[in-house]
Amino acid sequence: MEGIFPYIGTVLIMVGIYALFALGLNVQWGFAGLINIGHVAFMAIGAYTMAILNLQGVPLALSILIGLALAGGVGALLTLPAIRLKADYLAILTVGFSEIVRYVALNEGWLTGGAQGLFGFDIPLGGVVPAEQYNLFLLGFVWVTVLIAFILLQRLAKSPWGRVLKSIREDEDVARVLGKNVSRYKMQAFLLGSVLASLAGMMLAFYHQYLGPGYYYPMETFYAWIIVILGGSANNLGTLLGALLLWGFLSGTRFLSPLVPLSAYTFSALRMILVGLLLIVLMLYRPQGVLGKKKELTF
Amino acid sequence: MVNYVLSGITLGCIIALGAIGLTLAYGVLRFANFSHGDTLAAGAYIGLFISRVSGNLFLGAVGAIIGAALIGLGLEKVVWRPLRGKGASPIAMLITAIGVAILLRHVVMAIAGPTLQFYDVRARMFFLGDIMISSVQIIIIATAVAVMLVFAYILQRTKLGKAMRATSDEPALAKVSGIDVNRVITWVWLIGTGLAGLGGFLYGLQTALRPDMGFHLLFGMFAASILGGIGNPYGAMLGGIIIGLAQDLSLMVIPSQYKIAVGFVIMIIVLVVRPRGILGKAV
Repeated sequence: MEGIFPYIGTVLIMVGIYALFALGLNVQWGFAGLINIGHVAFMAIGAYTMAILNLQGVPLALSILIGLALAGGVGALLTLPAIRLKADYLAILTVGFSEIVRYVALNEGWLTGGAQGLFGFDIPLGGVVPAEQYNLFLLGFVWVTVLIAFILLQRLAKSPWGRVLKSIREDEDVARVLGKNVSRYKMQAFLLGSVLASLAGMMLAFYHQYLGPGYYYPMETFYAWIIVILGGSANNLGTLLGALLLWGFLSGTRFLSPLVPLSAYTFSALRMILVGLLLIVLMLYRPQGVLGKKKELTF
Repeated sequence: MVNYVLSGITLGCIIALGAIGLTLAYGVLRFANFSHGDTLAAGAYIGLFISRVSGNLFLGAVGAIIGAALIGLGLEKVVWRPLRGKGASPIAMLITAIGVAILLRHVVMAIAGPTLQFYDVRARMFFLGDIMISSVQIIIIATAVAVMLVFAYILQRTKLGKAMRATSDEPALAKVSGIDVNRVITWVWLIGTGLAGLGGFLYGLQTALRPDMGFHLLFGMFAASILGGIGNPYGAMLGGIIIGLAQDLSLMVIPSQYKIAVGFVIMIIVLVVRPRGILGKAV
């Protein structure tokens, strides 16, 4: 990996990781109409579980599986109090939950390494792939995972299960009258989305070969929302496109930073002003995003 | 113990001021306004700027109120009213509010920079036996209580207040009774964000200004609104005091890092046990 490639390569790794993360949100929001503003919590739960177990000597593959299972389980449990309530409460509940997960990661140093975070855990094929080729390998690994998730989700979306989810999104009461167990479907959608988020969290940890509480601010969740809405809610291909566009923007503008007479801090704040503006303008003028359909919107 | 109660009431007053706007926006517009915390923060920074330019803290407080209210009014004109015109649902408005929150916070960051900033205030300490109270605490509690009393008077006695309560109770019914709902909404934004700006200013008096301070306070404000019964401004005031007290009293039993989580835990319990809150109607 020489010249420009390392940079494009790392951008594509991030695109893949955030595509996976946002695909999870798209299951919950796009298909089931569930509003989860705490998606990043499951990134954290998955990655920390994997790293903590692995550092205790549990084999990597098993640590990954337990991490995925735990994130999915917690995701399903979290819907219990909110599933009967209105959408806004689920939004408030989830964002609060994700902040609590971050506080625990920050403050329970005996378990999570505290502010210093965790490092030294195994990475997939870490001993096999030479270190200088590892990012190239990870690029392939991330995108194969994204493609598998994408194909799986496309099939699910067209399956009877996916159709029930959409019917719940459109009108919960109709689905209930037709004898569907609405709570169970919502819980399953939340579980699946949380598993995908935790997978993305682990990939991010493998890429950095480190993880710390600084990765799990609510802003990450907001990125996932912007990706899903930009690409088009309930459209998996749109989610991939949204991830490419958002990270393309965030990384592309990084090149401009040295050309502008502003401190890096101010420049990045200006960039985020544009991101906020993008979300507002999308919601005002094109809530269905690039590829979405207006009639498939929950709002 | 008494000191915790005092600092809890101080924090509670600040949360209550912020929660009024949050709960009013919910009552009248039916959406959870995630940008409310960042409006509060922006108001506090405007107050900082004015107080530095004028060298007068009182003018700073007035600037924080007016600045935040103007932000609220501007957003109503540019974002919320056009969105309502397109028939946007409360969820669409909630997501738009996240965009507004990102925008406001980074405008503050771009202008004010990352460092902690302080108002030019020196607290004097008073001791009554074991009880310690600072002049800043007295100012915060007195200001907040006075402002809330004025607000309660407006709500209870004036035509505007009655229109607000009616719109919050039953928007459709208010409309057919001849209430100009758009005018009520404009006032809801002006008052709600103005009070939040004051809350941000008072918070800055006690601690320091940080660009993400609003997002931190947002959880307490949501918890207060839900605890008090969402849509009910008196509930928000009561809820704010309870959450502030609970957060500071919790310091006696749990480490301070988790102080902010206390409001959240109370909120979950309320959502599970009594989602309508203390003073709210059934949901």
